[in-house]
Amino acid sequence: MISQTHASPAPVTGAGSPAPVVATLGDIRAALEADIIWCPDLTTPVYGVVAADLMSDVLVDARPGFVLVTGLANVQVVRTAAIADLAAVVFARGKVIPPAVLELARESHLPLFRCQRSLFETAGRLYPMLSGRAGNAEGRPPA
Amino acid sequence: MTDAEFVRAYDVVGADFTNAGRASTSIKETLKNMGLASTLVRRVAIAAYEAEMNLVMHARRGTMTLTVTPGDVTIDVQDEGPGIPDITLAMQEGYTTATPEMQEMGFGAGMGLPNIKRNTDVLEISSEVQRGTHLMMRVHVS
Repeated sequence: MISQTHASPAPVTGAGSPAPVVATLGDIRAALEADIIWCPDLTTPVYGVVAADLMSDVLVDARPGFVLVTGLANVQVVRTAAIADLAAVVFARGKVIPPAVLELARESHLPLFRCQRSLFETAGRLYPMLSGRAGNAEGRPPA
Repeated sequence: MTDAEFVRAYDVVGADFTNAGRASTSIKETLKNMGLASTLVRRVAIAAYEAEMNLVMHARRGTMTLTVTPGDVTIDVQDEGPGIPDITLAMQEGYTTATPEMQEMGFGAGMGLPNIKRNTDVLEISSEVQRGTHLMMRVHVS
């Protein structure tokens, strides 16, 4: 029901240097050929991906700065992502975004994207970019 | 932050899925504005949100009360609802009494109470069947 991948520890407020940026929202958008529903800053760093339709799992497994990939399009997705300090939400399978979802995303300052691909393919395209293993282990550069 | 205790209460209405999460979002903003560490704010926000969703899914109404002192952030959740007959069972991951409609919202997978425990330093639950449930969640500021 859930898959998760991340390339480096998410940033922690306080002492120490921030985690290296391995991707930006612009990279994610390009890799998925996704529509921008709302995004004020494509240079926002991304530290990992969590793919799930169960928001309970997102609250357990996602870390700050992750992107949520989901097939669920309701206000609780935005609430969950904002509560968990996620970088953005990507709606897979070309989901229609209800106006209330967009309104809450703007209010919460949470970027939204829409991808026509399946949840499986969307997560799969992001895996080599953010896992730090899949692409590199076979000598291929990150996507 | 001063030594003074900060207290704020939020009313939550059962089955109001449109507004579910507003209280927790407000609690998170309040703690952020106080200058508390983002890791602590996130832990409290996640615990509060899980509790708020439980309240909205299962109870008729309730109140979430945020109390901030220099040493602790505490949230008391008191609801009027069916209560929890077996708290030990409810604390087990995967145990749920949620309806399919609740699960379509992305919740009700039996992860709420265990995740609240994971994100807090102190969790106390008391419940009376057919009356309601009280949660006291506390995170130490240090």
